[in-house]
Amino acid sequence: MKTLFIAFIVLTIALLAYSTYQGLFVAPTEQTMGEVQRIFYYHVPSAWTAGVCFFVNFLASVVYLWKRNPASDALAAASAEVGVAFCTIVLITGPIWARPVWGIWWTWDARLTTTLVLWLIYVSYLVLRRFAAGGQTQVLAAALAIFGFVDVPIVYMSIRWFRTQHPSPVMGGGENSGLDPAMLHAFFWNLLAFTCVGIVLMVLRYRLQMLEEKVEATHAAAALQGGAR
Amino acid sequence: MTGPVALRAAYIVTWAILLGYLGSLLRRFRRVREEMKDLKRSS
Repeated sequence: MKTLFIAFIVLTIALLAYSTYQGLFVAPTEQTMGEVQRIFYYHVPSAWTAGVCFFVNFLASVVYLWKRNPASDALAAASAEVGVAFCTIVLITGPIWARPVWGIWWTWDARLTTTLVLWLIYVSYLVLRRFAAGGQTQVLAAALAIFGFVDVPIVYMSIRWFRTQHPSPVMGGGENSGLDPAMLHAFFWNLLAFTCVGIVLMVLRYRLQMLEEKVEATHAAAALQGGAR
Repeated sequence: MTGPVALRAAYIVTWAILLGYLGSLLRRFRRVREEMKDLKRSS
């Protein structure tokens, strides 16, 4: 299993190198925006990976409430933390792109606001897990995760439901949407590479969570033994 | 902020966040492993 994971990490590094090369040097320069449009090759895959992480968090939370399985809770914690990291990238690279293109860093339009709310929901989820006392923390966190996930489809649909300053959907957005095939090629390689990075980070964080729980259980057992003497 | 500067800034921020997070995970791994060793030694 360890060898397989190391092989996956090597594959991810190779994918990252290839996709970065595609995004920075091979994909054609967009006519109206120029070089800054290449942020798209990091910004959108980061948003996708954050969405995947939050979906894993949602599923793991449902399974935890159903089975009370510690492994599901560990996966929920891991996926939320990695999702927040990718969502942070989205919230920083978006304004960096917006400044030269729109002339402003931020506007309270539906896509931007719902994404910020999404980030705040999962940060509060992590804060709850870190600081809540008592035996019900995991159950409360799982419930928050299930309600919090409602914002993910709202973020996705916001540019379809509302007229926003954020660009309309590039793919699946009707007749006038779509990408140049060379851009599409670079985009899909970046999407794949970022998804693999997300998986690697989630697996590492999951293993860390399981180790931390093992240490905590050992501490508790040692304290009980000490008390019994 | 010009386009190329913004592009460079966005790429630097992305990699700083990902590598920073990876670094924090590795530090936490080291700390937990040391704690495990201490527990084994004391038991």
